[in-house]
Amino acid sequence: MDKKIDQIIQDRSLYLCLECGKCTAVCPRRLTGKEYSPRLLAHKVIVEREDEAFIENAVWECLTCEICSEHCPSGVEFSGFILEMRELLAETKGLKGYRAHDGAIHSWMRMMTAPELKQNRLDWLTDELNTSAAGDIAYFVGCAPYFDVFFSGIEVDTLAIARDSIRLLNYLDIEPVLLPDERCCGHDLLWTGDRSNFERLQKLNYQTFKDAGIREVVVSCPECYMILSEYMPKVVPGFDLKITLLMDLIQQEVHKGGTAFKPLKRRTTFQDPCRLSRMLNRHKVPRELLTEIPDMRFTDMEHSGRSAICCGNSAFINCDAHSKQIQVQRLTEAKNTGADLLITACPKCMIHLTCAMRDRLKQKTLKLEIRDIVSILADQIKPYGG
Amino acid sequence: MKKVRLLGICCNWSPFACYNAAGMARMKMPDNFKLIRVMCIGRVNQALILRAFEYGADGVILLECNDEDCRYGPGPEVGHENVKRVRKMLHLLGIGQERLVEKSFAAHEKEELVEALWDFAERIEALGPVTEQKAMAAHV
Repeated sequence: MDKKIDQIIQDRSLYLCLECGKCTAVCPRRLTGKEYSPRLLAHKVIVEREDEAFIENAVWECLTCEICSEHCPSGVEFSGFILEMRELLAETKGLKGYRAHDGAIHSWMRMMTAPELKQNRLDWLTDELNTSAAGDIAYFVGCAPYFDVFFSGIEVDTLAIARDSIRLLNYLDIEPVLLPDERCCGHDLLWTGDRSNFERLQKLNYQTFKDAGIREVVVSCPECYMILSEYMPKVVPGFDLKITLLMDLIQQEVHKGGTAFKPLKRRTTFQDPCRLSRMLNRHKVPRELLTEIPDMRFTDMEHSGRSAICCGNSAFINCDAHSKQIQVQRLTEAKNTGADLLITACPKCMIHLTCAMRDRLKQKTLKLEIRDIVSILADQIKPYGG
Repeated sequence: MKKVRLLGICCNWSPFACYNAAGMARMKMPDNFKLIRVMCIGRVNQALILRAFEYGADGVILLECNDEDCRYGPGPEVGHENVKRVRKMLHLLGIGQERLVEKSFAAHEKEELVEALWDFAERIEALGPVTEQKAMAAHV
């Protein structure tokens, strides 16, 4: 175990840590008053490894939002370190982290590793949405139908993202294949250390794509995109799928010049999902697209782009009072821009922020309409000059 | 025929009184049936029901008090809401929503409870085991 930790420290450049503490100074957990310090964790894991309780706790507490690495002058890959430590601790000690919603989300993800699974995940499709039974291009729906049921109590419409993605694809004359037995991308299993089930999902999903003769998979969720484009190729030998982020596809279309947007008279701001802005370096894409929409007033929050603050939670573990405080802070920043519409690009940001808005005592000050960028684009897109 | 695995989640008050009385009266109950006693069905959330299926149950029955008999307040109503949602999840997963059942009892209804258990066992046996069971059990 010690050797393995040494290796992780080496691989993720923790020895380069200067102990400057910038990571801790920007950590959203710390900023909301939690006794949490990435710097101290790096220090302990190098020179005080006998403090197992501290290390184990801190490894699971991290939001993996990667803002620390953004500010690290030594290029320490902190969230990579966290990811590998979680895998190690899950494997050797059976640790899972404190799972939000009692682990229901991870439960259904694990249930999807059954090879004989026959899901009914596409009941929501309507006649207005054009899909094909066979073809080269698939649209990856992800967990949206499951979130739609599980979070029905907080009235968050994650399926709208799937519907509007298909509308956008239809607008581009693409009738995507929707696979009835695609599974969860496995993001949350990976980030809670469940490597074996994560790999099972990758292999099963790849097989599902291949069996359907798919060559390209279009994805709207940044987490699914990151997993399919960066992690799946490492798990599946001979990986040869093209993975496309829907937002990139629309941007290309706008660059080509055939597409424009109808005006939208709203004051908006954007919540950067950590996977999109920092891990995938796509913070400019949503801004470029949104500023194309006439009449819309777009103002960035105090912390935005690569410096944006997390929506308070990741991989559905460790949701606590500090997560809530991060969300309240984030919504307050959004309100301070004068926006009446908060746009995001990740269903989880939407779920977490919507949850925080429902606080009975803060409802009046925090309530803000929240929609996915895909929905905004699908509503406003039109042919150039049309 | 392969035996199915049946799980009951039982409220400590009315239904458990029935279960206890049925046991005292030596009434026969399905032998592939296991019971978990909780203080109130309101304690059980979506995750716990779902996990029963993750760990290999083929059928789950929630044994509740009547709505107006709850010792704590909204227990059975919480149960109804959870069952409604988990059923939808089971449908999505292709496991089948009919594998999750809820039944409520007054404290003296031991015959009704035993009958409900046999009826439940019969229905789930007719459906057979969840095919995924083996694959999943290997992972937990």
